Amino acid sequence: MKKKKGNREKANVVDDGEAVQMGKYKKDRKMKKKDHSSSRESEQLVEMSKAVDEDEVYEIPSGDEDCSKGMKKWLTKYHQSRPGLKVLQQRIDDFIIAHETKLEQERKEKEARLTEGGWILVEHHKGRKKTTDSESGTTVGSVSQAVVEEKLAKKKSKELFDFYRFQKREAQKNELMKLQSKFEQDKKRIQQLRAARKFRPY
Amino acid sequence: MRLESLYWLSIQLNLNNGIVAVKLDEVPGLFIRIIPTATSLFNLSKLNLKQNNVRALNTGDVPQPTPKYNCSILEDMFLEENSKFVKKTFSEWEELGEALILLKVWARLRSSIYVHDCLNGFLISVIVSYLVAQDKINHDMKAMAIFRAALKFIDTHPLWKHGLYFPPAGDNAFSEEGNEQHNSSTRVNLAFRIASVAYPELQDEVALTLRCLEKCRDGGFEEIFATKIDNAAKYDYCIRLNLKGNSEVYSLGFCLDDECWRVYEQDVHCLLNQGLSDRAKFIRVIWRNTHSEFNVENGLSGLGSEPLFIGISVSSVEKAFRIVDIGPNAEKKDEALMFQKFWGEKAELRRFQDGKISESTVWESEQWTRHLILKRIIEYLLGRHLSLLKKDIVQIVDQLDFSLLHVGKDPVSYSGRLLGTFEELSKRLRSIQDIPLRVSSVQPLDSAFRFTSVFPPEPHPMATKRVDGARVHNFTPFCVQSLEVMIQLEGSGNWPMDDVSIEKTKSVFLLKIAESLHNNWGMTCTATEEDVDVFMDGYSFRLRILHERGLSLVNREIGRDQMKWVSSADRKLFIHGQHASMINGLQFCYPIFGPVVRLAKRWLASHLFSACLAEEAVELLVAYLFLKPLPFNVPCSRITGFLRFLRLLAEHDWAFSPLVVDINGDLSQNDEKEIDDYFMQSRKADEENTQNKSKAMFLATACDKASEAWTSCSPNPLELKRLVAYARSSANLLTKLILQNQTDSHGWECLFRTPLNLYDAVILLHGDRLPYPKRLLFTSELDQGRHVAHGNPSNAFHPYLLPADMKGSLEQLKTKLMVNFDPLRCFIGDVEKEFSDGLKLWYDSLGGDAIGLTWEHSKKREREESELDRKYPVDLLRNVGEMGKGFVRDVYLLKAPRLTK
Repeated sequence: MKKKKGNREKANVVDDGEAVQMGKYKKDRKMKKKDHSSSRESEQLVEMSKAVDEDEVYEIPSGDEDCSKGMKKWLTKYHQSRPGLKVLQQRIDDFIIAHETKLEQERKEKEARLTEGGWILVEHHKGRKKTTDSESGTTVGSVSQAVVEEKLAKKKSKELFDFYRFQKREAQKNELMKLQSKFEQDKKRIQQLRAARKFRPY
Repeated sequence: MRLESLYWLSIQLNLNNGIVAVKLDEVPGLFIRIIPTATSLFNLSKLNLKQNNVRALNTGDVPQPTPKYNCSILEDMFLEENSKFVKKTFSEWEELGEALILLKVWARLRSSIYVHDCLNGFLISVIVSYLVAQDKINHDMKAMAIFRAALKFIDTHPLWKHGLYFPPAGDNAFSEEGNEQHNSSTRVNLAFRIASVAYPELQDEVALTLRCLEKCRDGGFEEIFATKIDNAAKYDYCIRLNLKGNSEVYSLGFCLDDECWRVYEQDVHCLLNQGLSDRAKFIRVIWRNTHSEFNVENGLSGLGSEPLFIGISVSSVEKAFRIVDIGPNAEKKDEALMFQKFWGEKAELRRFQDGKISESTVWESEQWTRHLILKRIIEYLLGRHLSLLKKDIVQIVDQLDFSLLHVGKDPVSYSGRLLGTFEELSKRLRSIQDIPLRVSSVQPLDSAFRFTSVFPPEPHPMATKRVDGARVHNFTPFCVQSLEVMIQLEGSGNWPMDDVSIEKTKSVFLLKIAESLHNNWGMTCTATEEDVDVFMDGYSFRLRILHERGLSLVNREIGRDQMKWVSSADRKLFIHGQHASMINGLQFCYPIFGPVVRLAKRWLASHLFSACLAEEAVELLVAYLFLKPLPFNVPCSRITGFLRFLRLLAEHDWAFSPLVVDINGDLSQNDEKEIDDYFMQSRKADEENTQNKSKAMFLATACDKASEAWTSCSPNPLELKRLVAYARSSANLLTKLILQNQTDSHGWECLFRTPLNLYDAVILLHGDRLPYPKRLLFTSELDQGRHVAHGNPSNAFHPYLLPADMKGSLEQLKTKLMVNFDPLRCFIGDVEKEFSDGLKLWYDSLGGDAIGLTWEHSKKREREESELDRKYPVDLLRNVGEMGKGFVRDVYLLKAPRLTK
């Protein structure tokens, strides 16, 4: 608190009117604390600019007693975020339970809506344990997606690609197309290089 | 026509061939060189290479042969004839002329071979004419084919040994190459200037060029004809000897076969060659002793004022960093004596592990100062044999090391201990029994583990199990850097399916792990909802879990372009992990990689680019230098590597070509085409959507072909432009410092001092409120612009433990340590949240005390609020300053936002 006072006194010495203005400015800042929306802020900017004398070097207080901004805020935040392992554990457990009930509720609501529309959801729960995720098709259990894909790839490679004449012809055609596209690309690049005028031998 | 000036020159620094140059003021840049010739003055038979023509040169009474001197006279005699021959060859042959231009451009770009004792323009034309006379070049060949043929000839034909002779007029019969040397009494060896020490260098340069032709994009055009290969970027170690007024140079007098400067060059070369043995691949000694304002009337003594340049290419880093050189066996008396004579007091007799007793030299050195061994050897040798003083030897080796030191020591020296601790940690993690799923793998992520972190953490005396009170002192930092470690758990089908729950479950696992570590090993752990940090042996590790389900989804994503199902946290972790192991592997192949990356990172941060270029992107850029060094060899010193990094940034054609970093060398042609396609797609998208350009810097790797990992959002085109401009000016400055600068350290510091007047506004911070004040290179001050606000430092935070803190018990003190607390990051985060669309922040995350601000002009904002911004930048800045209460020192306004209408 001492520093703030000091400031105000200093301002008092310089100019009486200004001390009032400083006070107003402080009020503005308090308002801002409550409301962070950007439109609000722009309003404040206008007000403040009227209030603060443009030529003076504005003194920022060290803010040791104010937790809303600056160093003090960051320190407080840091310490608050580390309440200890036990508390954290509890918090997460709570969160997960809440989250799960929420999900459950959503599911139920969905079901309810469906039933309302005259549909009855038929579910099949029994049977073989699921090994794949129904939505993405990912393997959940022991065999991973990568292995399956690899196996598929291996199987594919056994096919012959140059058995029929039309296959060979097609392959040749593709090759030619590739070369052509490469040629086009190279041409483009040369144009670009020319445009960039990088080559300056002398 | 008026003469502007007229002065003396010499051909290739040889004062025997003095010539007059005339400059005309009508045509700027045009010189006429008048070369005197003497067709009939001398008797040819006396100019045989074995004859003596300098009377003063004899040993005892036996006159020594003077081949160089004779050759230079022969050259004068046959100059007209030879140039006629050259002219005739080139007349009406367009391709040949074009090829000659190509060759000259090629040679001129390479300053190590385009010098007095190697190639010059005339010699190149002579070589080409010679090849035509030899029928090695015919009329069917295109310019590039002729270029290649000439290079092949230089590569296989040792010019300094066989010489290069034209047939005398009328004589068409060529003698065999071997005989030429003997028959040469009446003909001039046109390649007599090529020194035996320069030829291997020339050969290497040619070999590199031929490799470029084969391997590089567009037939190596850029590498061969558009990249300057100057000495600063080519050689690993550059040394300058100041020999002004050194009388020893002239001790032999001026009446020699060769000139005294050339003799001195050879002496230095010989000495270093012997002393460095297999540490150096090439040693090049070049002394451009004449300069353009030289005047014959003033005599010869003023000619050595330019410094002598020594360039050294290291054969391999291991060899260059070797501590012990083993000399001859002690039993071989003669050799041992020679060795002792050469090394003086440095030579010592040692018994080695295999029982051998040998002469040897030992250069005791700590791991992190190994790069200075070469410097010490050179300094010692030059001092001992040429009695040069330390102040006259300028070695470019350690001038940039200051930027990597922390309290006088390179923190990388703690890396060994860090890796040991990590090993132990991973052992403990894998042995944990009391959690549902066991830890299956542990992988380091942080750059400190791969030697590429600018400031790898030093062991903190309090981040251990039992705090050692004695090691806690006044300058013990309050903050601990935490290093990321990635953990994988055993597979399980019981994981939840949605993102949020997965992350929460991970946290639960981490808390359990932390608890277990605490119970079993007594390790201190601290946690937030997102992160869990554990302390061990002075280090703090931040644990992260990679969930395998996310991993398999990543594979799918790459395969089929499905973004929807990828869990972003896992994907990021996965990419980080891949990158870490890739770079770690590379780092083992190239020991100098780490220091170069660290310099690059430090440079970027000091110029406030921390937000623009991700750490990993820098590592990839530097990796590119090592993987695709052409047209150079792989860099073997930190300064050369750093210079090439700056040039890569400045010169790569970011707009038109992707930078492909092929770490394992396993990209196929198809892969490259794929990358090209991605690149084209991204550029096409930019053309259509001019507002939101992405991937200005396109960095592709084998596992990230579309450049999505590191550079997809930043740098944006504007940032990149700034980056390129900074890199260019820094590269130029560094080149100048290496080749010309005197010994002062200020110039070198300038590389890391950023000009603050290039921003619209500047915020200066309290240096003693940064978490690591000693990392600050220079305290920033500003004396221009409008001083808008001033702030006082907060008392709530101190970077070091205060005496008051130390009164309590050590255990209590331990809980006060702050893990990864960084006020700068907090401040930046707050400001960006509030003013993200009006301000852009430039900062140094490695410990700078200045933040640059520039006004952003986003379309949306312009309409609504630019009115306000324009009028009240001062208020805005004061608001920004308020947000950093207790941290911000001063705020300056340099430029109000521009009027845009």
